[in-house]
Amino acid sequence: MTPTNSNELFARVLRLGSILIAGVAVLGGAIGFFAASVAGLISALIGAAMALVFVSLTALSVWIGGKLPLGGFFGVVLGTWLVKLIGFFILVLVLKHASFIVGWVLFISIVGAVIGSLAVDAIVVLRSRIPTIQG
Amino acid sequence: MDVTTVAAAVSGSLGVVGYGLAAVGPGIGVGLVVSKTIESIARQPELAARLQVTMWLGIAFTEALALIGLATPFIFGA
Repeated sequence: MTPTNSNELFARVLRLGSILIAGVAVLGGAIGFFAASVAGLISALIGAAMALVFVSLTALSVWIGGKLPLGGFFGVVLGTWLVKLIGFFILVLVLKHASFIVGWVLFISIVGAVIGSLAVDAIVVLRSRIPTIQG
Repeated sequence: MDVTTVAAAVSGSLGVVGYGLAAVGPGIGVGLVVSKTIESIARQPELAARLQVTMWLGIAFTEALALIGLATPFIFGA
């Protein structure tokens, strides 16, 4: 189904992005488990969850902000971006020295999920047919 | 005292410098994307919905760099 307005587009992006990141979590979890036992599995799941929150918040902020006046739109989008980066930074500080984290598994899981979701975003936007003027 | 000597005398965590660099690039990138979107919407307000979607795609690609940059402490040492 081709999205024909921004509501459909963002709903589709969030749905497909979540499915893809769930796939990365399963694959990364399996690789992590065989490479580094339970710690590897937990690292892959945490990495995928971090990427899911990070990527989904951007789409959600644009979706929700789009219903506001222009000032509110940019406030919501950029405010979410700032809060998200600070939250991610704190999470990295907390998790970095945790005993149940295998760094390379978590890193690969995050990078795989982010790049995969970017591909999904780009494909959904390219396939969308949003009219120039929306009622 | 030449620049090399001064640079060699600097001490502290290189991770802080890395975080700074990870924040500067995407910060400039997102700023550019948003400023151009504001300009475009000011010129053609009827295109706002399409421009917002395009802006989101631009921000998503730019912030991926920030996310990967901030996750590097997991693979590089202290």
